[in-house]
Amino acid sequence: MKEAFTMWRHTQMVVLVALSAAIYAAILIPFKGFTIIPGFTEVRPANVFPFVFGLLFGPAGAWGAAIGNLIGDFFGTLGLGSIFGFVGNFFLGFLPYKMWGAFFRRGENMEPTVNTGKKFAVFVSIVVLASTVCAVWIAWFNDLIGFVPFAALASIITVNNAIAGLVLGPILLLLLYPRIKRWGLLWTEIMRPNEVPQARLQTVGAILMWVGGLGALAVGLIIGLGLYQQGFAAAGFSPEGAGQVGGFAIGVGLIPFLILIIVASFMLGGREQVLAAEEESDRVR
Amino acid sequence: MDPFLYLDRDTFVHRLDPRTKMFLLLGAFGLVFVFVSPLYQLGVLAVVLGFGYLAQSLVNLKRIWFILVMIGVMTVILWSIFGSGETPLFLFVELESVLYGLGIALRIDTTIVAGMIFLSTTRNEEIATGLVKLGIPYRFAFAVSTALRLVPTIASTGSTIGQAQRSRGLDLESGNFIQRVRKFIPLLVPVFVSTIRSTNVFSMALESKGFGASEKRTYFLQLAIRRRDVLVLLGFAVLLAGCIALRMAGYGGLEGFTR
Repeated sequence: MKEAFTMWRHTQMVVLVALSAAIYAAILIPFKGFTIIPGFTEVRPANVFPFVFGLLFGPAGAWGAAIGNLIGDFFGTLGLGSIFGFVGNFFLGFLPYKMWGAFFRRGENMEPTVNTGKKFAVFVSIVVLASTVCAVWIAWFNDLIGFVPFAALASIITVNNAIAGLVLGPILLLLLYPRIKRWGLLWTEIMRPNEVPQARLQTVGAILMWVGGLGALAVGLIIGLGLYQQGFAAAGFSPEGAGQVGGFAIGVGLIPFLILIIVASFMLGGREQVLAAEEESDRVR
Repeated sequence: MDPFLYLDRDTFVHRLDPRTKMFLLLGAFGLVFVFVSPLYQLGVLAVVLGFGYLAQSLVNLKRIWFILVMIGVMTVILWSIFGSGETPLFLFVELESVLYGLGIALRIDTTIVAGMIFLSTTRNEEIATGLVKLGIPYRFAFAVSTALRLVPTIASTGSTIGQAQRSRGLDLESGNFIQRVRKFIPLLVPVFVSTIRSTNVFSMALESKGFGASEKRTYFLQLAIRRRDVLVLLGFAVLLAGCIALRMAGYGGLEGFTR
């Protein structure tokens, strides 16, 4: 996660944050009227940008997604929910580049595009995971403060994010990648290896991220829909063991999974991608 | 149409320091959580609307009224389904869950109205400088304010390209939703490709003007917390304390609702 802070040293990365946030917000705003849960989510084809900008611009894409979503809220829906909208959208742009390296072996071509079957499959799985993690953060907070039930919000945001990424993402990535590379704007070309952390048990980190994201969604839905009363999840949420639907139960029940997501974020590296880009540019020279 | 909510008026709210308005916004976010009962939430909304009236910013309600109404309707429906109470109303819906939904709808609407008043009375530059003065790193605040400034430019460029292509016979209206969205991609790609392409020139222009050259910066916009800021914050603190005392005395709750 170190690179999310060291990136601010580079003027190019600061500009990329501003530009990606502006593009994201500019496409989000016209669709504000196509609401799904008013005030919380709407039809968002613009959600393709966090995946694509995250892969291409790395941490600048993640910050751009978070700020862009906040600016989108400035046009009529700024509220308490905007705080975790910021966090959720940060993860939407953060996970694509963090997880990307975990799918490739050392020495393997890991250019962030979808020109091979394997890269396409990796992109699809990353879109699903990032969509889920983003939804979990936003829905967890909104349920905790009693705004919108977790089950409704988490499922809608997950599907909404994933559709935009899966339908539009591959096309956009194929269109943008060669240009961004030609202009020298890939994050792996701007940042230096010592500014990006080395992966620590990368495979374990990737597994923890999957467990954290999908586990939080599954457990949140089980608690939120009251299904646990019929089974295993009843224990532990109240002295009687009968549990309590939503609210406190979701607030506490999901914390271990959210911690897993944060821990995994520190375990996944990124330096291997910067080193691979350096080797690639050395080969070209 | 200007996409921003800011209204250039000369009211005492406009003259408040942006940091004071940020604290008031956060305070309003806290205030809405004191009560659950929709009746008391109405009172909180009335206070926030009164503040908006003093700020001459309620005209912006015209731009967001539809969202506010939809939030009200959807929140009541959602909580009627997901919550439960003791007094049957109709089918599976109980009175307490409807009341809770109403209370939550008012809570959400109040935070959005508070956000609207903040944005109607505070310029982008004030927000950015206020954030820096509160300890947010300058580069982050710079990115936020630059993005805010660029949004209308990008939106108008996109609109111009769309109109140009339509005038050449491009049909954006036919097909289902996904097909129509896909048709927009060739229109949008030039917009963001040209925007991203400017990154290097933008960076060089910034660095040639000394961006990041020294740790300590000076600002054209000078902010100062004055007596009126202190008085407004004190007044709000008294209001918040009064509401909390009222709640602790047993008012403003909702009996019989379970989630």
